[in-house]
Amino acid sequence: MPRLDRLPEASRKAVLGLPVQANETAPFVRPVRPVAACRLAMVTTAGLHRRGDRPFTPGEQGYRVIPSSTPPADIVQSHTSIGFDRTAILRDINVTFPIERLRELVGDRVIGGLAPNHYSFMGALRDVAKLEGESGPDVARRLRDDGAEVVLLTPT
Amino acid sequence: MLARVIEAHGIATTSISLVREHTEKLRPPRALFVPFPFGHAFGRPNDPELQHRVLAAVLALLAAPAGPVLEDLSEDAEPGDEPPAPLQASAVPAAAAVSADAVAETKDVLRAHVQWLADHDGSTTFGLSGIPVDRFPEVADFLQRFAETGGGDVSGRPEDVPLPAFIRWAADDLKSLYWESRLLAQPNATGADVARWFWGETAAGQVLRRVRDRLDASDDPKWKAAAFGVAR
Repeated sequence: MPRLDRLPEASRKAVLGLPVQANETAPFVRPVRPVAACRLAMVTTAGLHRRGDRPFTPGEQGYRVIPSSTPPADIVQSHTSIGFDRTAILRDINVTFPIERLRELVGDRVIGGLAPNHYSFMGALRDVAKLEGESGPDVARRLRDDGAEVVLLTPT
Repeated sequence: MLARVIEAHGIATTSISLVREHTEKLRPPRALFVPFPFGHAFGRPNDPELQHRVLAAVLALLAAPAGPVLEDLSEDAEPGDEPPAPLQASAVPAAAAVSADAVAETKDVLRAHVQWLADHDGSTTFGLSGIPVDRFPEVADFLQRFAETGGGDVSGRPEDVPLPAFIRWAADDLKSLYWESRLLAQPNATGADVARWFWGETAAGQVLRRVRDRLDASDDPKWKAAAFGVAR
């Protein structure tokens, strides 16, 4: 799952040892209109960015903007933890960041369209205080300004 | 976490979860748990149908009247024969006869990589170190010397990138070139196949093992952290 019971002991402990915020409730808003009419943006924590953008450093809590028109070939991943196999994303970026699949969904009118930008953060963060207090809200405001109506979050 | 922040700003979110145990605690507004290994959030590379099924399931959560919502993807798909965790260098013995010349080997890999680019619309995960691809034999030479002496540098290293971070990214770029070239030669190889080849049979794999040891021998936590990312 990585079904945790299938992971090697060391990997399982490393994953479960990551600090996770415990919450009792969740903020919840309904989409403003049917998804087939909504503009969608992706926010990923896979450490993706355009080639030529500054790579993420481990633990970095900032973000990168990936215009939704970016050709898949121009996107690279600087989250290169050896805790996951990069062979899949080398073959096909859509396995982590389904940028081409979403364009197909727009063509098929399953979603209304794409917001002008997707946003990307580093993965495997232990300290998320700045992400929760600064960079996360900053991206949320930018998404609103972009006219994003629903957001899909994708991990590594 | 990010889903909660964005939702609190009034935008509906839906998320892919790879670790159900974490998602149960964190409670994002809507999450779809998928039974795939890390690095495979949408199932399998070059399988648009499976990727669309995952997308349809995660977008369907947006119709839920109230939350938080945590559902499981209904199918129990594993991406091919990929193991749940990648094969690490420490699990691969070096073959008896491995070339010691990582520079010549890198030149061969670069020639194959040109073909990879041609076949994949220029798509590559190479490009983190800031050093152009045609200079990578020189980077391999640097890594080899660093492994032996702990010294050296590469001209044109981005000024704002400290040496240990540069070494980590140069190692990542070198791995990308080798991985992609190997996949060109063996399109059906699994990640474990490629890892077994790289760590077992290539000069570059042996250089990176020694680079890891050299970085790890430092007392500086930044150098140790870089070591952890080069090989384990």
